[in-house]
Amino acid sequence: MLLFLISAGLSLIFGVSRILNFAHGVLFMLGAYLAVTIALLGPGTMTAYLAALIGGTAGLFVVGALIETGLLRRIYHAPHEFQLLLTFALVFIFGDVVKLLWGREDHSMAVPSLLTGATRGLGLTFPTYRLFLIVFGLLVAAVLWYLLQRTRWGIFVRAATMDRQMLSALGVNTHRLFTGVFAVGAGLAGLGGALAAPIVAVGPGLHVQVIIDAFVVVVIGGMGSVFGALVGSLLVGIVNAFGLLAFPSLAVVLTFALMAVILIVRPWGLFGSQE
Amino acid sequence: MRLPLAALLMVCGIAVPLVVSEFWTFIAIEVLVFALYASSFNLLLGYGGMLSFGHAAFFGVGGYATALLVKKGGLSVGLALVGAPLAAAAVATVIGYFCVRRSGIYFAMLTFACQMLLYTIALKASGLTGGDDGITGIRPTGILSNSIAYYYFTLFLVGMALYLMWRLVNSPFGYALRALRTNPGRLRYVGVPVRAHQWVTFVIAGGLAGLAGGLFALSIGSIFPSWLNWTASATPVVMAVLGGLHSFVGPMLGAAVYVILEVVISGHTEYWPLAMGCIILVLVLVLPEGLTGWRSLQARLRPFGGSGGR
Repeated sequence: MLLFLISAGLSLIFGVSRILNFAHGVLFMLGAYLAVTIALLGPGTMTAYLAALIGGTAGLFVVGALIETGLLRRIYHAPHEFQLLLTFALVFIFGDVVKLLWGREDHSMAVPSLLTGATRGLGLTFPTYRLFLIVFGLLVAAVLWYLLQRTRWGIFVRAATMDRQMLSALGVNTHRLFTGVFAVGAGLAGLGGALAAPIVAVGPGLHVQVIIDAFVVVVIGGMGSVFGALVGSLLVGIVNAFGLLAFPSLAVVLTFALMAVILIVRPWGLFGSQE
Repeated sequence: MRLPLAALLMVCGIAVPLVVSEFWTFIAIEVLVFALYASSFNLLLGYGGMLSFGHAAFFGVGGYATALLVKKGGLSVGLALVGAPLAAAAVATVIGYFCVRRSGIYFAMLTFACQMLLYTIALKASGLTGGDDGITGIRPTGILSNSIAYYYFTLFLVGMALYLMWRLVNSPFGYALRALRTNPGRLRYVGVPVRAHQWVTFVIAGGLAGLAGGLFALSIGSIFPSWLNWTASATPVVMAVLGGLHSFVGPMLGAAVYVILEVVISGHTEYWPLAMGCIILVLVLVLPEGLTGWRSLQARLRPFGGSGGR
C-alpha cells in the first residue's frame, strides 16, 4: 500500500508531464524525515502522529509545487536527457541535504499507542499498524479515484495525459494544472513517507530502493494510470513475497525481468493507454 | 576534431606522468577511462540519438568480466582485458536487440531495466561475483603494477579505441547514424536498415564501455555491484552533457572536468553529490550545449542564430 502511494504519484506526474521523476524517492524520504521531526513533539500520541502525517503531506506538497514552478517548468520542451538529469540532480541534492539537516544516523518514529499491538480475526494475527496502512491506502485510492473521475480537475488531468496541446488550446491553464499535479504527486510521496516512518529506519539511504520499486510498479501498471499503480503494487508485492518464499535470491531478479518483458511487449503497461 | 588538436591531446597525454605526481597520474588514468566511457555513451546519444539510461551496465559487465578472468580464470591482465569488451559487447547484443525496437523515453527505461536486472544478478549471484563485497585484489602484477606503466598502457588502449571511434563516426556508417538521429523515417525510405544500424551502434558502444570498465577495475583493483546500480547510470550522461553532446571531444572534456572536480571537491567536503547536483542544475538550465557549446549560447541570443549542433 505504501508502494501504491508512491507509484500513484509517480504515475500521475509521468502521465501529465511525460517526465520520469527520479527524485520521487527522495520526496518520499523527505516526507519520512519531516514526519519523524514533527512526531517528536509528542512521541506515541495520536495527535502528534496525525500532525506528522499532515505535515509530511503538506510539506511535500509545497516542495513539489516549488520544484515544478522553479525548475521543471523550464525544461518541458528540452530533450529527455535533460529532464532525467534534472531529476537526478535533485536526488543528489536532497540526498545530501537530509544528511546536513538530520545527520547520517537512522531515525525512528513511535507508533501511536492506539495502533500498536496485533489484531486478531479470521483465525489470523495481524500487526495493527500494517492493517491500518492497508485501510488507509485503500482510502487514499478511493479519494484519488473520486478526484480523477468525478471532479473538473480530474477531467483536466486525464485529458492532459492524452493530449496536452489540445487541452491548452481549449483554454485550460495547463501551467497551473502541471504544478498542481506535481504537487499532488509529491504530496502523495510525502504521505507515503510519513506513513512508512514508524516501520522503516529513516536514514539517508531510504530512497534508493523505494524509487526502484515504484518504477517497476509504474511500468507494469502503465504510466499515467492510477488504477494501474494499484494493481502493479499489489502484483509486485505478491511477486516479492512469494518469490522470497520460493527462491529468495531470484525474487528481485524476477521483478526486473518482469519490468523488462513488459517494456518489450507492452511498453504502455497493463492499464496505460497506447500512445 | 582537427589534426593539430588530436596531436596536442596526444602530446599532453604522453607528457602527463612526466610532470605530475603519482597521485595525479592515478587521476589521469581515471580521466582516460572515463573519457572513453563518456565517448562511448556519446556515440549512442550524441550521434545515434539513443538515450541509454543503462550504459553503466556495460561498464560494469566489462569490469566484472576482467575481474573474473583474472581471479577465477587465472589469466594475465592483458588477456583478461580482451574479455572486457567482448563480454560487454555480447551482453549489448542481447539487450540491444530488444532496445532498438523502442525509442525515446521507453528506450531509456528499457536500458535502465536491463541494467537493474544485471545489478541484481551481480548482487545475488554471490558465489560468482562476491555479492555485496564485490571482487577485490585484481591489481595487475609485473610491469603494469607500476602506475606510470599502467598509465601508458591505458593511454594506448583508450587512444586506439577513440581513434577507431573517430574513424567510425566519419565513415558512411557514421553519417547514416547522424542522419538517423535527425530523421529515422526518411532514412528508412532511402533504404537504410535503421534498426540494424542502431543495433550495431549499441553493440559497439557497449563494447567500448566494457573496455573502459575493465581498465578501471584493474586500475583500482576491485569492483562492486554498486557500479551497476541506478545511481551510477547518470555518470556517463552527466559527463557527456557537461562536455557537450554531438561533439567528438566534448565528452572527453566533460569526463576530465568531472573527474578533476570530483577529486578537488571531495578533498574539501564530504558533500560531493550535493555539489554535483548543483552543477547539473546549472548545466541543464543555463548551459545545455555543454562546455564545448558555449559559443552557441551567444548565438542563441542573436535572432536566427545558428543552433549549435552539427
